[in-house]
Formats: sequence, C-alpha cells, structure tokens
Amino acid sequence: MAEQIILRTEKDMPYQPISLGSMEWNRTGTWRYLRPRFDNKISPCNESCPAGQDIEGAMVLIGQGKVLEAWDLFQEESPFPGVCGRVCYHPCESSCNRGEFDEAVSINALERFMADMAFKHGRRVTVKKEKKKEKVAVIGSGPAGMTCAYHLARMGYGVTVFEALPVLGGMLRVGIPEYRLPKKILEGEIDRILELGVTTEVNTRFGESLQQKDLKEYAAVFFALGNHVSKKLGVSGEDEDWAMSGVEFLRKVSLGKEVPLGKKMVIIGGGNTALDAARTALRLGAKPSILYRRTREEMPAFPAEIQEAEEEGIEISFLVSPVRLLVERGQKKLECVKNRLGPPDEDGRRRPVEVKGSNYFIEVDQVLTAIGEDADLATLPKKLGVQDSIIPTDERGATKLEGTFAGGDIIHQPHTVVHAIGSGKRAAIFIDCFLRKQKWEGVFDSIRLGERGNLSMRRYLTEEKERPPLSPKTVLLKDLNIDYFEHKKRKKTSRLPMGKRQGTFEEVNLGFPEETAVAEAQRCFNCGVCNLCDNCYIFCPDVAIRKENGNNVIDYDHCKGCGICVEECPRDAMVMEEEGR
Amino acid sequence: MKKIMVGNHAVSWGVMLSRAEVVSAYPITPQTSIVEELSVLCADGKLKANFIPVESEHSAMACVIGAAAAGVRTFTATSSQGLALMHEMLHWASGSRLPIVMANVNRALGAPFNIWGEQSDSLSQRDTGWIQIYCESNQEVLDTVIQAFKIAEKVLLPVMVVLDAFVLSHTAEPVDIPDAHIVDQFLPAFKPEFKLDPQNPRSFACFLTPDFFMEFRYKMQRAMLESEAVCKEVDGQFGEIFGRGYGLVEAYRCEGADVVLMTAGAVTSTARVAVDALREKGRKVGLLKLRLFRPFPKEDILEVIRKVEKVAVLDRNLSLGLGGMFAHELRAALCNEKVRPRIYNYITGLGGRDTTLQILNDVVYQTYEQPEPPEQSIWVGMRG
Repeated sequence: MAEQIILRTEKDMPYQPISLGSMEWNRTGTWRYLRPRFDNKISPCNESCPAGQDIEGAMVLIGQGKVLEAWDLFQEESPFPGVCGRVCYHPCESSCNRGEFDEAVSINALERFMADMAFKHGRRVTVKKEKKKEKVAVIGSGPAGMTCAYHLARMGYGVTVFEALPVLGGMLRVGIPEYRLPKKILEGEIDRILELGVTTEVNTRFGESLQQKDLKEYAAVFFALGNHVSKKLGVSGEDEDWAMSGVEFLRKVSLGKEVPLGKKMVIIGGGNTALDAARTALRLGAKPSILYRRTREEMPAFPAEIQEAEEEGIEISFLVSPVRLLVERGQKKLECVKNRLGPPDEDGRRRPVEVKGSNYFIEVDQVLTAIGEDADLATLPKKLGVQDSIIPTDERGATKLEGTFAGGDIIHQPHTVVHAIGSGKRAAIFIDCFLRKQKWEGVFDSIRLGERGNLSMRRYLTEEKERPPLSPKTVLLKDLNIDYFEHKKRKKTSRLPMGKRQGTFEEVNLGFPEETAVAEAQRCFNCGVCNLCDNCYIFCPDVAIRKENGNNVIDYDHCKGCGICVEECPRDAMVMEEEGR
Repeated sequence: MKKIMVGNHAVSWGVMLSRAEVVSAYPITPQTSIVEELSVLCADGKLKANFIPVESEHSAMACVIGAAAAGVRTFTATSSQGLALMHEMLHWASGSRLPIVMANVNRALGAPFNIWGEQSDSLSQRDTGWIQIYCESNQEVLDTVIQAFKIAEKVLLPVMVVLDAFVLSHTAEPVDIPDAHIVDQFLPAFKPEFKLDPQNPRSFACFLTPDFFMEFRYKMQRAMLESEAVCKEVDGQFGEIFGRGYGLVEAYRCEGADVVLMTAGAVTSTARVAVDALREKGRKVGLLKLRLFRPFPKEDILEVIRKVEKVAVLDRNLSLGLGGMFAHELRAALCNEKVRPRIYNYITGLGGRDTTLQILNDVVYQTYEQPEPPEQSIWVGMRG
C-alpha cells in the first residue's frame, strides 16, 4: 500500500476525481479467475505435411519479404523444397483452412518460389554440429535416402550413399520428366547435400557390387531402394518388343538413351507414371493416348497432371482394359474390352467389371504399361522379413535387423515424394537415437506435429529447455475468428504456352513472380500461431499486454481475465484457462 | 484566406486548426458532413488525428473520454437523438473534468420524426455540466470551435458548440480561415497535469463515498461559474489576435430601447434585419443575442436589459409544461432583481419551421400591445 493521503477539506482535494498517489500497489490481476495465455497450436498445413515442414512459419516470412529466411526454415526439415515445390501432391493445400473459407493458399507454388530464390542467391545450408565418428550407409539415392543422408550429415555423421544407377536422385531423376522437374533443380539440391560431406558410390547395386558384408564398417544402415520394377499386365503378348514398361521408358529418356517411339502410342494405366510417360512421348514426337480401366474419379494421378495432359491433346479412354497384344498381317494391335464399375474393392475405389462381348481392337505402334511399380528386394537380407515388396518397420522406421532402418516406397506408406522425404527424416532421427544409445520412446511426444505422426527436425535438434511450447491441438476453421479475414482470390502460377510444349522439355509450370508470391503468402491465416497482429494489444482494456523483446507478453499483475484478447485473437493462438489458486 | 463553406465544414476546419488528436464520431443528419470532412482531412494528412469510427454516439463519447483522460485533445460531433443517446456519457465527461469539445447541430427530437432545426436537443442537456455556446454564422462557428478548446482546457470542463441544422450546417457563406501558425500561438498544445499513464498509474473517475462526493461537485460548480470569466477572456484574446470577438452576449441597437428581442443561434441574423426595419419606422426596438447559455451570463444580460421595459424571448425549443427554455432561464436569473423588464416568451420555429421577418414583426407588435406578459408562452407562426 502507498502512503495514505489525508483529505481534510475541499482544498486538499484535486479538481479531477483521480487518485493523487500512484495506483501501482493495486494489482488488479488478483481479481482474475480466468487466465489468458499465449498458446501456439498446430496449423493444419503443418500437421498434414509428411515432411513435417513449418509451412505456417514460412508463410509469415515470405509475407514479410524474407524469402531466403523462409527457405532456411524449410531446409531445417527437408533438402528438397525445389523438388517438392514442383512435384509434391501438396496435402497441405487440401487441409488449408483457407480452402474452406475461399481458396487454399498456394503453398506448393510458394515452396518452389523460395527454392528458386535460394538458387538465384546461392543460399547455402549451414551445419552447426561437430563431426561424429560413426558412419552410416544409405542404400538408394532417391528422396528418402538423400533426405536421411542430409539430416545425418547435418548432425555430424559420416554418410555414404550407394546408388545402383549411374546418376543420383532415384525416381526424382529417372522417373519424373524434365518438364515437371528440371534436372538442374534436382542436381542443385543434391549438390547442396553433397557439400555437407556426404560421399556417394554410383553404379553400385545392392546384392551385386555391394553386399551386406561390405556394410560392416557402418554403424547403421538405411535401405531406400525405391520401386523401379513395373507391374505386369498379365496378358498375352506383353513381352513383345513393341511393348515396354512406363518406368523403363522414362528411365531411358532421362538417361539419354534411345527409346522406341512409334507414331501411335498407347499407355495403359491411370497413375502419374502413365501421365508422365504419355506427356514425355508427346514431347518426343509420338501421338500418345491413355487407356484406364476405371473412370476419371478413380485415377490415382494428380488432377493437375491429368488436366495438363488433356490440354496438351492427350486423349484418355476410360473403362477400358487390355486383353492381349497381337500382330495381324503385320499390323500391331491391342485387343481391349470395355468395363463398367462394380462394387468398391478393398481400397474403396469401385472395381472395374468386364462387359462381356465388348471386345474391340486398336491399331498401335508402341504400347507402354504403367499400372504400378514394385521394388526388387530379392537380394536383401532374409532377416528383414520382406513381404509383398515391403520391408516391415516399426514406428521409427526401424527394421527387424538391429541398426537397420528403411524408408521410401519399400515400407508400408503412400508412394509419394513427400512421404519418402518424411521417412528419410524419421530414419535420421532414430538412427541418431540408436547411435547415441538414447531412449526413443519419449521422443515422439516432443517433436510430433499433430496427430498424423509427422515430425519436426527443428524441434528434435533444439535443446529441450529451449524448445518453444507447442499445444497438440490442430486449429480448424471453426477455431478462427474469421471476422478478421477478407476473402481474397488464390493467385495462379503461369504456364508454358501450349505451342512450346511439343518437341521440348521446358518446364510447364512457370511459378510466381516475387510480388505475387508475397501477396499470396499474406493470404495465410497463420492458424494457431501468433504473428504479432497486435489485436490483443489493441483490445486489452487494462493495458495488460506489454511489448517485451519484440514479443507480446501478458502482465498478469493487471490482467483481470476478461478474455477479450482471446476472443479477438483471429487465429486461436491464445487460450483461456481457469486460474489456479 | 477566405473560403466559401457550409457551417459543418467550418466546424471541421476549426477542429483541424485546433489540431485535435483524437476524433471519434457516429454520423447523424444533419451532423454527418462534419464527420465526413474530418475523415477526409485526416486521410489527407491535413489533420494528424486518430479518427475512430464507432457504433453509436454513446461509444463516440466514451471513446473521446478515454482519449482525453490519456491526455490528448479530443473532438466529437452529434445531433438530436445522437446527443440524447450520449446523455449518460456527458455526465462522465464533465464529472471527470475532461476538456472535450463537441459540436451539436440543433435538430428536433422525435417523435414525430424530424431532421430539421430546433434547440430542444442541446437545451435538454443543460444540467450535464457542459459549457454551451450558440452560434449565429459559419464564421462564428469556426472561431468558436477554436475558442472552445482553449476554454475547455483552461477550466477543465467540456464545451458544446451549437449550430442550427441546415440554416448553418448546410448553408455556404464566406468564412475567413485563420493562419494555422497564429492559431497555434493562440491555442498551444494540450498539456494536462494528470493523464492516464501505465508508467504512473492513477485511478481516473474513481469511486467516491458520501464522505467526499459533495466536495467534487462543489468544485465543479465553482469551475462552471468561473468559466464565464474565462469565456469572456478567451473571446477577448481571440478578438485581439484575429479581429473578431463575439462577447458572451451581444447588444444590437439597444440604445434607448423599450422592447428588446432576445435570440440565440442563426435566427439572430434575421432579427438584425427585423430590428433595422423597425428602427427605420421609429420603433425603439433592440436585439440581445445570447451566445453563452451555460454558464448563464446574467451580468452581461442585465447590463443590456436592466432598464428596458419589455424583453421578448424567442425560443426555438420547448420544455413541455413549462414553455421556452431561454425565457425560463432569463426569468429565473432576474427574479431577485428590483429593477427588471417584463419577460414575454414566444415559441417559434419548432421542427425547422422558418422564423420569418413577418413572425419577428408580429412578436414585436404583440409585445408592444400587451401591457403584461401572459401566463403561458405565446406560439407564433402557427398554421391557420
């Protein structure tokens, strides 16, 4: 209590009804029975990114024009923003709360934008950790293997990557065509990984020039061989020399080898490989068309891919299955049968059912099959327990063999680039735990981003006491105060003119110019994360939000717990709790 | 610099020249163009003020109360129902002794719904502790706004500047715009002794028990009474610097008058013409313009009318069951005077009806004709 001021007469009193002394003693915060707290939560984009990217954090930085800093943030989780910014199926955008409000933020294009800017400015990856003595072998240089190598190298481990093909990058290099993923982008990102001291041995196929016994000097092994073997159609004539698998076709084109073309080309399948093969053939001068046994709705290829292929004039016939390949009077032919959709099968898609007697023939020059890929795991150690092209792994990605981990398309997970990257990162984390003989069971809780099991490398590499608190809650549109957000159209990237798409492998997606990128990033709601919008600071009737070291902090001496700050927070980055007394 | 401007813009320009720092207002006809012009002046950077749009007049007043307590110069404007809605906050402003300036554009209160001029809105707020000044012309409006800040900040009471709906608010006439740097000398920056400050927290408009409440009211009453001299002093200084002074009241051709018309607001200018015409005809008629209504400048009024036989008070307002409010104030002020004129009260111009020269002539002749004022006020300019 302050010194008492005695007011004997009217003359002792001030002219205004105010306290003469300071009211500093009056800690009005004691009136509070509810307590607001800044409480960062998980944005749905971050939760849904299998690579565990801090997308929300990058949107803030790009929105402030700090594009290279945004790239630095992405590099913490993955070495491949330039790749993912082009070929990721971006589940982040499907779960973006803005999608329910108007249109999802164009995250994928922004990832590419920051990667391109990082190349333009020669941005490099920084390594802070000191070198460790242990060495790790990575089998396979695809997105899983290279991501694992990258993170282990950043942690200080010596890493050697063994690759069966003469080039690095796995499916990114020999599966995805140039017009979707230019080689210089992939090579640029791989070069950055190699700069960290990762050594590589190409033309080294496991089970041939590399044997299990050669791996003894390595303290841990990561298998990420990928799926490079095309599934068989199981029809007669498919071994004819004018039939070829889509992956082989793409691999040969990528490696600059001769491929049989033929003017009239039919590609069988509805996945990305089928689309990639068709669009590649188109660019080489063929006239490709696609046969798919179900309808457009069931096609596993990305919708944008399908749309671009059709724009380029590639015809897709639905509800058609191949019956056999044959040659009649010197004319190559494909016998087909029409289908209708039957009841759903085990993956929920409606099964095609043959329509009896609907067989017909099409004349062809070349057939490509692309109905799915398998791995060739025959040479792997028996103890791994390989079943149906899959290595069984636990939640860490560890196999049954001590010190051996696996990732990418050869473990049980969706076959996408970003899942491969996520599995490589996860393996790096738990290889580190294994090599440091750390308990791993508790690690998940402190680095998990939401319910879907995606992990944050940044949190893993941050000392526990310095790790910012993160609520496990994922913020949905209903949690936001959408009165604060305006409807704004999603920005579109520009595309290569149609006339330039034949005969060249120029990249089709031209990305964003800088101004567009910054404006698009500013569309981000920053769900669940304080971005210092200052609504709490402005609205607090008790001036109880204070600025400290660039952050907003709550002055609990004077916060009466009215909750206006929490109510007016646009992004659910605050929480109201009962006061503990 | 002279500019042709409507009365509402004269208000806005007066506020700009006074360098108000926070403006908060809610639009209402016929006040709206004050707020519009202020928002334009703010947007153009001519007035470096925080313009705070609000959802009601009650909030507008609450907003400027908060801002004034934080130590900045504040302004708001309203009219009629808006002023009525502010009523509660008017007491908080004056009780907190905050020097807020407000323009009120006189308009009739509903029902029946009406947007035209009448003084009942501001006069109904007589007891809220606000100083009230009524203006005759757009020039006077601009000048009075500047004076009002100086008065308010000196006596720490809020000031209401009152102008007629449409006749002033929406009518353009030449207005001399004083040089900003001279206004700055006349009206220096507002530097209150106490203000809301998180570094030095004090309780404002605090809770007071019966042990202390009366003393604060006593101080307010004294401040209100003393403000009469301050109003006179400020107007005098203003006159010296800008060459335009208005006084608390103005006597027009009252020499040797036996009947004096008393007016407030824009009707005064019509009354000047009426008086001139009647003087031409040999009638000893004068005009007393009441500019300051609260505090009521009794001495200045007496100086003009003490020896006059009859005063005809023109009331463009009505206190139901009582009559005209200006007349009532005047009677109350004079009742203990040994020598005093008889007070005739005329109700005119309610809900925007024109007070014409003919009506003013009627008022004067009726006053001459009736030896004693009737018990009730006389309604003039009625239909039929």
